[in-house]
Amino acid sequence: MKRWTSILVSLFLCSSLLIAQDKLEIFGYFESQMMGAEVKNEFLQLYSNKLRVDLKSSLSKNITFAANFDYITYHGKTEWNILDFLAPKVVSEVSEGMEAFYALPFSNRTFLDNAYIKIAFKPFDLIVGKQQISLGTGYVWNPADVFNVKDYLDPTYEQPGHNAIRLDVPLGTSYTLTALFSPDENWGDSAKMIQFKGRISRFDFSFIAIEKAWRFHDYTQFDTESMNFLELPEKRQLLGFSTAGELLGLGVWAEYAYNKMERTKDFYELVLGADYTFDFQTYLMVEYYQNTLGKTHHEDYTLNDWMRLMAMEQKAISRDQVYVFIQHPVTDLLNAAISSIYNISDNSFALIPTLNYSLSDNVDIFAYLNLNFGAEGKAFAKNLGNGGLIRVRVYF
Amino acid sequence: MKKMIISGLIVLIAAPFSFSQELTGEDIIQKVNDLMNVQTAYGKAKMTIVTTSGQKRTFIYESWSKNKGEKNLVRYLEPSRVKDQAVLMLNNADDIWMYFPRTQRVRKLATHAKKQKMQGSDFSYEDMGSGDAFITDYTPERLKDEKMEGYDCYQIELTRKPESDMSYSRLIMWVIKENFVPVVIDYYHEDDPSLQEKRLIQSDIRIIDDLPTAMKVVMLNKNDNTQTEMELLEVKYNLTLDDSLFTERSLKK
Repeated sequence: MKRWTSILVSLFLCSSLLIAQDKLEIFGYFESQMMGAEVKNEFLQLYSNKLRVDLKSSLSKNITFAANFDYITYHGKTEWNILDFLAPKVVSEVSEGMEAFYALPFSNRTFLDNAYIKIAFKPFDLIVGKQQISLGTGYVWNPADVFNVKDYLDPTYEQPGHNAIRLDVPLGTSYTLTALFSPDENWGDSAKMIQFKGRISRFDFSFIAIEKAWRFHDYTQFDTESMNFLELPEKRQLLGFSTAGELLGLGVWAEYAYNKMERTKDFYELVLGADYTFDFQTYLMVEYYQNTLGKTHHEDYTLNDWMRLMAMEQKAISRDQVYVFIQHPVTDLLNAAISSIYNISDNSFALIPTLNYSLSDNVDIFAYLNLNFGAEGKAFAKNLGNGGLIRVRVYF
Repeated sequence: MKKMIISGLIVLIAAPFSFSQELTGEDIIQKVNDLMNVQTAYGKAKMTIVTTSGQKRTFIYESWSKNKGEKNLVRYLEPSRVKDQAVLMLNNADDIWMYFPRTQRVRKLATHAKKQKMQGSDFSYEDMGSGDAFITDYTPERLKDEKMEGYDCYQIELTRKPESDMSYSRLIMWVIKENFVPVVIDYYHEDDPSLQEKRLIQSDIRIIDDLPTAMKVVMLNKNDNTQTEMELLEVKYNLTLDDSLFTERSLKK
């Protein structure tokens, strides 16, 4: 609490100083959200309120400061046990008396999400501090992005900020070399990234190399020292490629990453995507994702697989999946969409009908249903909790 | 077409033209096209969408263009919901990138995205960024001169060329004889040349930096019964704009 108080005081003092200089922009949003899911024949609800305040100031022609802090409160069912959603066969792997450790609490939070200084000169941009890191061309999955995992229910939602130093060096108008360092406890565990991005004809492309400490956990063993599940850290080295362009009138993109692991088996991830807008304004997107870390048969899914998926240590539990998204502007203020994710490996799928309505210039309403149609134990099993979400967001 | 709408910049040089009746459709549309193409331009505009239910949505954006509209950058200032979102269009909008500030993600769009409405308005990206389309994608034919919006006008019919992938089968354009401003343009359905979809009306023509500039552009959507109005708040021509402004780096500002 003391830490957050000092952050808020610092931000306030900083803001006051910048406001005094008449250079500070203050903006952000407030969102109120209700989520619900049917669990064991009971419909459970979780409410949240989020206030995001952004500060941005151009301290000089070349230096920009930007930050945002978030305050989130949770209400309703604020503790969910992951085991409630899993098949009995998987739950049976849990040692007796350990069930409570699989509870996922939603606690009120205040945090500094992004805060960085950007120094921009003609030969380079340097960004220092907590910042967004967005890598790859995929819409739902980004094999090249070891920093974030998107939620397939809401893949465009903002990602958390990461503490990093980033240097972008433009090479002419079409190419950029990027180096990024995200510090950890020591140099060896810190993330290092280098990326070369460019454009050839109608295609953007990038080559990327990343080294990062990867922290898998063994969710069947508890470490009494850290009071957490047993951590299995190892070095992960990634070599990747991504591209986006146009082919035969379709928008197309691809992303590939080979992951060399220090101790466990190497794996790769691949994304292939295409999209098209019809003359009647309907937009269609298809994206295929393969992850060789995932299993090919649902009988092989273990407790660790499920927990690593939910803890976002890996992006999919199974090897192959396809995402389809269709959107149509019903009126000039209302967009309706339906997305479906089909798991090729275990033959299960989920449907996500979505509505997005503009209530006024700065008020949006967003709602979706999450309907799973798979048999028990599969990636999109019914017992994962059919439900939905409604969110009202007011920008200021 | 691009500068005419994106920047809101209907740019026409008030040069002494011969308004003789001998001008063919090709001559007139060539003059319209040539005069619309200013080397560089900056504009700040307000776009107001009037929906079917009569509600209004207002956006304010800045735009820069270079190489006679071949390169364009648009950055939204208001409302807060879209603040700092930006669109970069190169090669006459054949290459489009969109920037989303909250995720700091840049997404490349294929040319089919030009069919999408810009922020839900009655302008599609194609309406905004079709470059030299009047010349390259349509065959002009001069029709009978008419008075339109109070001006003596040439009336030109533009018929889509077979190889073109533009979304309109034909256009009817009324061009002011005095200065070659296309004061009204009618857009017809892609597959049905008899079905009018939209009408563009330009007004409040002022001389800015020696160039006639329509300060107000309204697009009426006949199908949806909606309209979008663009009002120029600020405009500058022939500035020095570095190529580095039209890059992904610049999108992120």
